[in-house]
Amino acid sequence: MQKYWKLLLSQVKLDTAYSLRFWAGSITSVIRLVMLYAFWQAVYENRTTIVDISLEQMLTYSVLAVLLSSYIAGAGTQLAAGVLNGDVAIELMRPYDYINKLISLDLGSKLTSIIRETLPMLVVALLFIGIHAPHSWEHALLFLFSTLTGILIGAQIDLVVGLLSFWTINISGLRILRASFLLFFSGTLVPITLFPQWLQIVCTYMPFPSMVFVPVSIYTGQIQGADIYPAIGLQLFWLLVCWMVSRLFWLLAKRRITIFGG
Amino acid sequence: MIEVRGLSKHYRIAKRKQGLLGAIQGLFIRKYTSKKAVDDISFTIASGEVVGYIGSNGAGKSTTIKMLSGILTPTSGDVLVNGIVPYRERQKNAKKIGAVFGQRTQLMWDLAPRESYDLLKHIYQIPEAIYQKNLHEMTEKLQLHSLLDIPVRQLSLGQKMRCEFVAAFLHDPAVVYLDEPTIGLDVAAKSRIRSFIKQMNEEKGTTIILTTHDMQDIEELCRRIIIIDNGQILYDGDLHAVKNSFLHEHVISFELDEEKEEILIPGELEGLVTYIPEEGNSNKLTLSFHPETISAAQVIAAVLHHYRVRDVSIAEPKIESIVQEIYERGA
Amino acid sequence: MRYFQLYVCFFSARLKAMMEYRVDFLIGALSILFIQTTSILFVKIVFDHIHTLQGWTFHEVLFIYGIAATGRAIHQFFFENLWVLGSAYIRTGNFDRILLRPIPPLFHLIADRIQPDGIGQLIIGVIVLGIAIPELSMPWGGLETLILALLILSSGLIFIAVNLFFATFSFWMVDSFPIMSTTYQLSSFTNYPLTIYNKGLRFVLTWIIPYGFTSFYPAAVFVDQGGYHTVGYLTPAVAILCCMIAYFFWKRGLRSFASTGH
Repeated sequence: MQKYWKLLLSQVKLDTAYSLRFWAGSITSVIRLVMLYAFWQAVYENRTTIVDISLEQMLTYSVLAVLLSSYIAGAGTQLAAGVLNGDVAIELMRPYDYINKLISLDLGSKLTSIIRETLPMLVVALLFIGIHAPHSWEHALLFLFSTLTGILIGAQIDLVVGLLSFWTINISGLRILRASFLLFFSGTLVPITLFPQWLQIVCTYMPFPSMVFVPVSIYTGQIQGADIYPAIGLQLFWLLVCWMVSRLFWLLAKRRITIFGG
Repeated sequence: MIEVRGLSKHYRIAKRKQGLLGAIQGLFIRKYTSKKAVDDISFTIASGEVVGYIGSNGAGKSTTIKMLSGILTPTSGDVLVNGIVPYRERQKNAKKIGAVFGQRTQLMWDLAPRESYDLLKHIYQIPEAIYQKNLHEMTEKLQLHSLLDIPVRQLSLGQKMRCEFVAAFLHDPAVVYLDEPTIGLDVAAKSRIRSFIKQMNEEKGTTIILTTHDMQDIEELCRRIIIIDNGQILYDGDLHAVKNSFLHEHVISFELDEEKEEILIPGELEGLVTYIPEEGNSNKLTLSFHPETISAAQVIAAVLHHYRVRDVSIAEPKIESIVQEIYERGA
Repeated sequence: MRYFQLYVCFFSARLKAMMEYRVDFLIGALSILFIQTTSILFVKIVFDHIHTLQGWTFHEVLFIYGIAATGRAIHQFFFENLWVLGSAYIRTGNFDRILLRPIPPLFHLIADRIQPDGIGQLIIGVIVLGIAIPELSMPWGGLETLILALLILSSGLIFIAVNLFFATFSFWMVDSFPIMSTTYQLSSFTNYPLTIYNKGLRFVLTWIIPYGFTSFYPAAVFVDQGGYHTVGYLTPAVAILCCMIAYFFWKRGLRSFASTGH
């Protein structure tokens, strides 16, 4: 455990080493928030609700969704980099589990992004935008649990994309594709309940809404009562599926390393 | 050809603190220190000379080269190359110089060298006839014909380096700067490149400034060397003079059979040899000596008498140790 | 003229290099297509519920969006290398290489890369404009097309000038990418009519970072909602001014780089 903690700390140091990059990250997140606020204000100009969602609910939803979306990436980038420069083969000989190491580093990154992005955004959101409190205490607890599940699903999907670098060279294109796919189908841009009917049906067969839409909707109360537990159950189901897929890919990749030497 | 007078370059360097707390502190405050990378140096190099420019890492070699080639503006002092002040008329100067910077390539990674040469032809506005003639001659000398149409990324380091030399000489530059041109190459590639440099110098009268850690590069190519340390010139003159006073030191390295806390020089050698510490190796004993004072056979015999030895090697002294020695002698 | 020919030489070499990685090229173009499609889908979804945004119809917003997308494409295709001035040239020392060549460094930097993703962007931009224009309830002919082309070119120049200006900071701080990307984030505001934002934001997007002239003001030449018709005609002048300022700043950066080095 000690060594993974050290790895985590080393990543925090790396992320704060370039002060400029650090502050630029904060400012970028605040700009995104301002954008969100202005846009939804304009949208709600002549109306009080859209599909039963009030402006306050919509702003709360968007802020939380954007906050959460910066955590659903994972260790895939580092994994891909390791594959491309051949470090993976060396890493496999080291006295730790490579995937666990990557996850520790990723947790370190997430720790810095709490300070860099989440905190400034929360401050701005609370002071200038006004996000409402969770629907109820029960919703708040379930939101935390559901958020954690969502982040774990994101981490698994990210690993799978990273592992694809064992088979293709251009991983950056795939990563952009993944990011834009997630942004849209996770419900970060706009709640899935606003989608046209056919697209909502398509979404029920994808793991992406479980990453952002479900936890945030539990917070705002868009999902409530008897709907909550099936939604969380579905999340857990997707987590299991994604975990199995990523482990399968990892096994295949490891075999590839040992047979072809990376 | 090249005139340097009272040249200096000072840098400002940011200090960074250790540890996590230091990293966070660095987000807000930075402290700077000043460093004299090059400190009041002067020399003149005539047309057609091959000069070795030597010094340990951070001695100020590349800073000097950058000022000579117009990339850096000096803090004070004068530089004149081909009658041009390089940093004032960088592009005009660039047309008449060539460069090979060891690890950095000017060839396009994904394309065959021929494509890069063709682009260079347009960049340097080389007349077609001269381009064809030069390309033909140089590929001949470096035996590159078979490599011209293979993407650079598929070439070995030695092949790449040979291609790199064509790129540097293609536009008939008057001066060529070579920074570690043979680093990491095998013996065959090294000798091919050395003879190419020699030929270009003799046939075209190209002036060549060479920085290297490889003693053999210097010995085979340069008549004159300039040694720089801490931004100042320690020695400027004939290579033979230095060789006579320093290079005749012989160095023998012993690899011992067991690791020792402290390796002692055998008593009978005391005062006759110099111990050269090796970093990180606790089973290595390296000694230097004058062959006039003691013979190699005597040294080896003495060490064998005291230690169980796995391997013996007779090494060329490193540039660093010569620089160190000149420095200590206050030459 | 000489530099035009030289650019063609660089261009054809880059094109050959690109053909070495055909799959990567496809993945890149595809991911841009997908990103753009989802963000337009987002606008469509919102408009399905509100019909007009402070008086702007869906097709008018689409028109603004299309101008921005096409202008960006010009920047993306030809000037993408500005992004990596810090990371790929100054940090690695490769910028010294450029300075050793007898041609202007800015020209060399730009000519060193073309970004095929720009093609995906261009296609999307043109398609969006093609959908929006017939619905604009105004006569459209050759003259309008010509004016629009000129405005889009100016839009591209503004994107280029802003990025060049902020890339130049790399000469002092090794890599100014964070500043560039933070500023670039501001350009996302201009996908929508500037009139939906408050005075402060409008001021910034008009006078400080004139991204407003990359889409909204040019669009106002054709679709006037609030008296910006004449301002729209200033777009080319703004573009030229921005380029001059950016180029002047670049020259200063180069001088400073020559005296500090890295």
